[in-house]
Amino acid sequence: MAGPAESLYIQQLVELLAVVSSSTEEASAVQNAVERSAQALEAEVAAAVIDGKVVASIGFPPRAVPHEEIVAMTRQQHAELHVPGLGGCPAVTASWAGSHPGHLVLARWGAPFQVEEQNLVRGMARVLELTLTMLRTLVAEHAIRESLQERQRLLEHLSAIQRAISHREDLQHILDTITDGARDLLGDEIGLLWVRDEPDSGRARLAAAAGTRPGDPADRPVVDLTAASPAGEAMVTDRVAVRHGQELQSRMLKLLGPSTVHASMAAPVHDSGVLTGALVVASCDTNRRYTPADEQTLSAFAENVSLALTDANTLVRMRQAHHDPLTGLASRGLFLEQLSQQLAIADADGRKLAVLFLDLDRFKDTNDSLGHAAGDQLLTLTAGRITAQLRAGDTASRFGGDEFAVMLARVDGPQDAATVARRIVTALAEPMRVAQHWLRVGVSVGVALSNTDGHEPAELVARADLAMYEAKHRGTGGYALYRETVPRD
Amino acid sequence: MLDEEVHNRRWLGVGRSSLADSGAAATEAVSEARIGPDPKLLIVFAAITHDTAAVLAGVAQAAPGVPVIGCTTHGEIGAGGPADGTVTVAAIGGAGLEIATCAAEHVSGRQADAGYEVAACIRDVAQPHRVLMLLTDGLVRDQESIVRGCYRALGAGTPLFGGAAADGWRMSGAYLFKDGQVLTDAVIGAAIASEAPIAVGVGHGYRTVGQPMIVTRAADGRVLTLDDRPALDVYLERLNAPPEAYTDPSAFTAFVLSRPLGVQRRSGVEARNLSTEVDLEGRSIGGGGAIDPGGLTWVMTGDEESILDAVDTVCQDTLDRLGGNEPIGMLTFSCAALRAVLGDDGIRRECERLQRWAGTMPFAGFYTYGEIARNHGIDGFHNQTLAVLALS
Repeated sequence: MAGPAESLYIQQLVELLAVVSSSTEEASAVQNAVERSAQALEAEVAAAVIDGKVVASIGFPPRAVPHEEIVAMTRQQHAELHVPGLGGCPAVTASWAGSHPGHLVLARWGAPFQVEEQNLVRGMARVLELTLTMLRTLVAEHAIRESLQERQRLLEHLSAIQRAISHREDLQHILDTITDGARDLLGDEIGLLWVRDEPDSGRARLAAAAGTRPGDPADRPVVDLTAASPAGEAMVTDRVAVRHGQELQSRMLKLLGPSTVHASMAAPVHDSGVLTGALVVASCDTNRRYTPADEQTLSAFAENVSLALTDANTLVRMRQAHHDPLTGLASRGLFLEQLSQQLAIADADGRKLAVLFLDLDRFKDTNDSLGHAAGDQLLTLTAGRITAQLRAGDTASRFGGDEFAVMLARVDGPQDAATVARRIVTALAEPMRVAQHWLRVGVSVGVALSNTDGHEPAELVARADLAMYEAKHRGTGGYALYRETVPRD
Repeated sequence: MLDEEVHNRRWLGVGRSSLADSGAAATEAVSEARIGPDPKLLIVFAAITHDTAAVLAGVAQAAPGVPVIGCTTHGEIGAGGPADGTVTVAAIGGAGLEIATCAAEHVSGRQADAGYEVAACIRDVAQPHRVLMLLTDGLVRDQESIVRGCYRALGAGTPLFGGAAADGWRMSGAYLFKDGQVLTDAVIGAAIASEAPIAVGVGHGYRTVGQPMIVTRAADGRVLTLDDRPALDVYLERLNAPPEAYTDPSAFTAFVLSRPLGVQRRSGVEARNLSTEVDLEGRSIGGGGAIDPGGLTWVMTGDEESILDAVDTVCQDTLDRLGGNEPIGMLTFSCAALRAVLGDDGIRRECERLQRWAGTMPFAGFYTYGEIARNHGIDGFHNQTLAVLALS
């Protein structure tokens, strides 16, 4: 199972976001969030407390909700909640801030909440805060702008962004959508997103821009994190920064603006809870004045950036744990795990699978003569050529150094596996363009088939490895099938 | 003597008849099931081939005035092994047991409210050990919401158990029984309360295969894309499905019946049956409840050995939950889709396993279109599982 714990937590957060973002009014958003968080954590009880009152709960019959005990949990007065029929249940609470702060409380029979689960509950509280902020922004918009069309546009923008995050669209695309959406909705000329390059860097780089003066996209400007600019101020103070008046605008806004900038506003952005950037809008209208409702709208958009960054970075970390960072192929651990599962299925279905063990010939020469960068490029090209020979369901893995392994999930017999081995040998025999040189490397391939007496995945790989030595022994650029008679050293 | 007294205070009996005449079969099964005094509830499992009105008339004739619940099946489970075409009856009674039943109709479109309504019957029983048993119409969508409605009404303190009525794979109409009535698009609740512990258990015998797939688009309870590609194709490719499964609805159903979709949950992977709602045109997959965007899913496989091992695990777990009290009988609800994996010989061996755990105590149940079992958490609707209720 690929990173079950970590991937499960981000899954649950994204699922919660998908469910609560479909709510159109506060009561159902809170009830959905409460039930969904209980479901995700397999907790019997969940409740939301706002203004010292239980506003939604699950796990108690309607007339038997212990309001006082639940509210007491939010004051950290007890570690357990008494649930009728179950007794004392370990509990966890998480608070959210914003204009209407509140608490999420969960209790689960028999199993205390792990640290990661406590983090997840905190993340869920943030999702709820975001949703409530969104819904209240809609209400505030309603009071200020009577136009139904305007409210519809806000809902559409925010829903589009939340869908993009839930559906894991390309991160740059999500950031562009949010930046342009904030600019468009607030009716301003300019939208900017600044993100810190390194966690403790004193500077931020432009990650997305809309409505700016045309420039070279590769030349991404940077700003210092000081109060000199609204973005810097928001990133230092962790609050929305507002500037009215041409003379108060930063040098960077004067550079990027299509004409003279008269007003600007910046809201802080977080990655996994750490302050990491700022979302900025700016106007060239001399009469532009930002209202508190405008500040809330920008904050809601900034919260969306925070979720997108947190989610994208978690996905990157997840993938790195299970794949070779250079070639993108499965790691050794993931390969052996998949092999083990496929062996079990093949045994049950009475069919065979094959493992190919590959070792590049003359790789060391390339590395030594052209350097590591050329070696890395060669390995990446090799990985591409190997996977091009495989069918859906087959798996390729980089075992380390210049060794690769391939699992053929369904083979009819040794000749079937040999055909694939031959194709790989032929594909890798073609010259490759690396560091301005045409190189030929070649590969030796060992082939081993599963048999009906069943054996461990590591044993099958070891047999393919032995056969690979046999191939190498015969001369480079060939393959050999494992037979019981292959001598063991 | 003491044994005799305990036996009379709480008993469960099972009867079965393979007579072709529906009324006569029901009468015979009820008479055989009635092994003690003061019968409180008759639970009737009838093959879809029977005349349901005649079955209920036969039941009423054999046990006038005794509350009745029941449903049609995709096969009946009992001490003599699995069967098709029978009337199988579990009777429970004795002074130590209390029963209250109710039904909700016109369930489609208001599943959660219907669940909430039938849960009300728990108020009419007073004994300390309680479970709400549910029988649902297996052709009604979104069965989870029925269970969620019950949970909203009852809270964490009441376990849930039950199954979805089946119609022998005809997919045209499953029926529920409540006293003299034959109902469809309905839910039946039965509050079972006892002076001695009652236990519920559930489990499946499937394992995940390969890497997880992320649900990238979902709508109307269906998964549209996995890893940004049409869900149906991704799923079949992962399983090396034969070419006809991609284009022929019946080949698709036959292939996926034994290969559910796994959905990652905290305590393990839940199995979802994909075989009933086929969408070869839209290339989406679904069935057995909504899966939201962002969800981690897996392809799953199982075989007779793993499924029979799950029978052992579920029985052991359920009986352990009785806390050392002597069991008096079990209700055993197994998924209709498991019949496709196990075959006729396999389900015979499944019943032999159940028999091994039951020993001399009676047990009965049916092959369902969905199993209900909740001890912890807030969910309780399952696919591809065995759900067991044990009384002590």
